[in-house]
Amino acid sequence: MSDAAPPKPLPHPDRDSQPFWAGLRERELRVQRCLGCQALRWPPRAICNRCRGFGFEWIALSGRGRIVSWVRTHQVFAPAWRDDVPYDVVQVALDEQQDLQLIGRLDGAAPERDLRVRARFRQVDEGVTLLHWEAERD
Amino acid sequence: MRDRVAIAGVGYTELSKNSGVSTLTLACRAIVAALEDAGIRPEEVDGLATHRVGDSVLPPVLAHSLGIRDLHWYLDLFGGGSVSHAVVGQAALAIDAGIADTVVCYRAINARSEFRMGGIGRPLVDAVETQYQAPYGYFAPPQQFAMAARAHMLRYGTTHEQLGAVAVTQRSHAVHNERALQRKPITLEDYLASRWVVEPFRLFDCCLETDGAVALVLTSAERARDLRRRPVLIRAASWGSGFTLYSNQQPDPTTTAAAAMAKRLWSQAGLGPGDVDVAELYDCFTYTVLVQLEDYGFCKKGEGGPFAASGATRLGGSLPVNTHGGFLCEGYVHGLNHVCEAVSQLRGDAGARQVEGAEVALSTSQPGYVSGNTSALVLRRGP
Repeated sequence: MSDAAPPKPLPHPDRDSQPFWAGLRERELRVQRCLGCQALRWPPRAICNRCRGFGFEWIALSGRGRIVSWVRTHQVFAPAWRDDVPYDVVQVALDEQQDLQLIGRLDGAAPERDLRVRARFRQVDEGVTLLHWEAERD
Repeated sequence: MRDRVAIAGVGYTELSKNSGVSTLTLACRAIVAALEDAGIRPEEVDGLATHRVGDSVLPPVLAHSLGIRDLHWYLDLFGGGSVSHAVVGQAALAIDAGIADTVVCYRAINARSEFRMGGIGRPLVDAVETQYQAPYGYFAPPQQFAMAARAHMLRYGTTHEQLGAVAVTQRSHAVHNERALQRKPITLEDYLASRWVVEPFRLFDCCLETDGAVALVLTSAERARDLRRRPVLIRAASWGSGFTLYSNQQPDPTTTAAAAMAKRLWSQAGLGPGDVDVAELYDCFTYTVLVQLEDYGFCKKGEGGPFAASGATRLGGSLPVNTHGGFLCEGYVHGLNHVCEAVSQLRGDAGARQVEGAEVALSTSQPGYVSGNTSALVLRRGP
């Protein structure tokens, strides 16, 4: 038996993104909404790139979207993923606004074009929950 | 600035998988070679310009090493392949503005033996998006560009065979390049049989991680006329910024920042894609060649794949692309080796890979994925 793979890196939230990561811990996918023009934005930042308003609020989304692209990684780019290859990483366009596109892992299904997915909140430890995706079944 | 600044010399180190020397040593060797090529003494240099991502030597250190006591201008631009051509463009501005007379642009990296792109062998880079991606095992450049390539395949029907055409074409060019690290010809079957790195990319879609350095000597077009080599004029230089793949208002990864910037570039040059005799297009992966053929206007949007597969980009075709073999075959010196090859083509000293009668060249940087920004040069054969 070889040694276990080294631990995967955990996110380092910055001062703009802390509410997003706090949302995942509470099993909600939260993004900022501009108080001026109501546009949603990603990634988190202080100002709206449509109307330049500084006012915003954090809102919880449905956590639903569709796959717009994906990659299947075969090469071990860092030892932490040695036991994971091959694995799929997907880019998901969120239902509420198509230009909000997030990267994440897809669990339990093979990615395909326009596959409907929903957020899965995967707790790593007490401080960190990651955003995974699963196919939406009716 | 049109045609008022010239590239008077180019220099290379050996390209390898392990240089065994520091980036400072590589930079000194390439710069001395470029100055020798131009017929300019090191003490005449009054400007130095480079780009780096925390992986290479700073201009003032080189100035000290080369005995340049009064550096009039320097540039230490943070950034990877998307800013390589902006280094040359900004150096040209400094000369045109009268701030410096002789500027050396260089890039020196040990990109295989010391600092591999994407964070292997060093901590993950500190981009704003890293926190949203790296925890899912998504951080290496092949993954990020494969994501865009897949989107292009889904939207426009681009095929593996069309990506393969880029790899096969460039290898056929590298056969004629004694500097190239990969010179053995390959077929489309070889390409399709190469192992997956990250789908949809196979091994032969990916550039060669390389140790090496290149340098270019810039001076006024007027002065360059009296120097050792035929000058190559900077017809136009442009750089620009859009949104990264991952920010709102950029929902379509199949069009790059180059699409908007190219319009300014052609306008500045007073030329268009139809005037270009040879193009050296940033090819960290096969896909970026296809998308740039579209975004610089050589073919319609979505038709980069068929264009490359038609043979148009081969030597002897209507638009030879990456005549040195590109990063896929010559080696990856992060952008400036494309400019050096364009210079060689316009001087007419490219030997067996010479594009007959080449007068105008386009050379480009990374078209804007991940970084959001890009840069490019239109070069013209001088008198």
